[in-house]
Amino acid sequence: MLVGLLLLCSVLVLVYRLPVRNWVPLGPQRMVETINPKMGIHTRLTDEPEAAKIKRSLEMVREMGAPWIVEYFPWAYYEPRAGQYDWAHPDLVIDHANRQGLTVIARLGYVPEWARPADSHPLYLPEENYQAFGRFAAAFVQRYQGKIRYLILWNEPNLSLEWGFRPVDPVAYVEMLRVVYPMVKAVNPTVMVLGGALAPTLDPPESEWGMNDLDFLQRMYDAGAADYFDILAIHTYGWGFDADEPADESVINFRRAELLREVMVRNGDSNKTAMITEGGWNDHPRWTKAVRPSQRIHNSIRAYEIAQTEWPWLESISLWVFRFPWDQKSYQDNYTFVRSDFEPKAIYLEVQRYAQGLSHAQ
Amino acid sequence: MNNPARLLASLHLRALPVRQRGLWLGICVLAAIGGWLVVYYNPQPVDVTWQQMQERGSWRVGMDPSFPPFETLNAQGAPVGYDVDLAREIADQWGLEVEIVAIGFDSLLDALQVQRVDAVISALPFDARRTQDVFYSLPYFEAGIRLVVEAEAEIAAVDELAGRSVAVEWGSRGDAVARRLQRDGVALERLTFQSPQEAITALVSGASDALLIDGVTLQLAQGKGQPIRPVGSALESDPYVIAVPIDAPELQKAVNESLETLQQNGRLGLLQTIWFGRNP
Repeated sequence: MLVGLLLLCSVLVLVYRLPVRNWVPLGPQRMVETINPKMGIHTRLTDEPEAAKIKRSLEMVREMGAPWIVEYFPWAYYEPRAGQYDWAHPDLVIDHANRQGLTVIARLGYVPEWARPADSHPLYLPEENYQAFGRFAAAFVQRYQGKIRYLILWNEPNLSLEWGFRPVDPVAYVEMLRVVYPMVKAVNPTVMVLGGALAPTLDPPESEWGMNDLDFLQRMYDAGAADYFDILAIHTYGWGFDADEPADESVINFRRAELLREVMVRNGDSNKTAMITEGGWNDHPRWTKAVRPSQRIHNSIRAYEIAQTEWPWLESISLWVFRFPWDQKSYQDNYTFVRSDFEPKAIYLEVQRYAQGLSHAQ
Repeated sequence: MNNPARLLASLHLRALPVRQRGLWLGICVLAAIGGWLVVYYNPQPVDVTWQQMQERGSWRVGMDPSFPPFETLNAQGAPVGYDVDLAREIADQWGLEVEIVAIGFDSLLDALQVQRVDAVISALPFDARRTQDVFYSLPYFEAGIRLVVEAEAEIAAVDELAGRSVAVEWGSRGDAVARRLQRDGVALERLTFQSPQEAITALVSGASDALLIDGVTLQLAQGKGQPIRPVGSALESDPYVIAVPIDAPELQKAVNESLETLQQNGRLGLLQTIWFGRNP
């Protein structure tokens, strides 16, 4: 009897010390209630290890009325050694997101050490390892069959820093899509691959830092990209301009998305849709591209309205960024909708009112 | 118990055989000599930053001159502002010149860590996460959210806001604090405005009973003669501090001592008057 009791206690202690500690119940299946089904937000749970905080973030996204999230799943985190996967963290994020009724757009990138030259940057993906990236993407899709339907392959390849500090190369990027796209589709043909995700930039030709996003997209089409992505991912920031400021090739503003759409149409890709996977306004008091907090609220809500009422070719719009696990102590903190301690900012509450069909509090 | 013989007795060394007793005594003596040598030949770590400042005759201070009145560039392109003068006041106490190094705000602490500058003074908020990388001085400015009332008003605390109106800039941190107070049960009426200036005007004109704004906006408004005053301490603190290298103990001590001196001799207050204007 005593021995049995001791054994039971030992098992309980062991169970308590195992990963179960970082676990919270998924809870009942929920649905997002909103007047605008295109509303989304880029969460940033990549570096949020705590299950309870992951769940709370996703609950708050649902409560805000946004059915879409974009989340970043770094390859290096989940395949630290070739062929050895650790899905614990993405399991948490994806299962909780699904349970909250959210549709996840998964962004993949960030190269593990074993898949790149020694001392190279984690965003450096050598061509000989496109297959390795494809195997990871396929494994990801395989694991999350029925849970993930949208996949972004790489981020902002038109910036040198996002391309491993090499000169940007639309042809090489398309080659990566050409290798990875069929590997993903072979596992799950219904998964939609998003290409592009280009940084809005006015870099002049031959700039060492990056390539104008409109030029990069055209060069992608020239290199045959159309067959290797299903949806165009768009990044569009408003900077100091209102959401209704007309698009202009020489300006970075929200409606620059329309210019990217024109490139798609010009290249015979009008049947495809697009998704805004990053965008928004910043209200940092000392960042030169920021606006006042009230302007940020107006513009963000207007952006959601424009997406719903004016852009039938757009499936969703996910603004940057819901919350960081800790304060960045930089202008990046003024992109968030919720503080790191989960205190909702005014923009969160106003967007929530909009999603509920209520008028602005101002 | 100061007598060594009694100490030894207490350790029961007398109970040991003579050879063992000698061995233990030898070990103790060697340990004592070793300890003394370590202390003697291993003095306090050298503060290389402080030494280089003395050799150079200057204090290199990093700042992003884009945030008036703390730091900006004048018509001649020279850095001016509260933080520039603060750096000079401190360096004066050490008999050093100040070299201002203009660096983008997000790169300031990196520049400090790679020794491109000796300190950062740039309306820099305290960041607990970086305290293992850099040393932060005592705060010299509170930029957090303050409850503000008209100069003659009798409101003395947050819990007196029940049934009163509070002006905020819509979407600002003050707005967030007002909403939080409402959620916490303080029955205040939140009045929103498109700019902090409009919110201040509402308070001064009597359209609202109180105001929630950040410390910088408050100081600027007071400096322009607005008859308003803060109540209590910051509802959400955001202190500005000076950052210096983590391995510069002499510089760290000197910065804090200088700030205390400037506080005591009124020079810090004078800088506030110069750059924000005189409080009414």
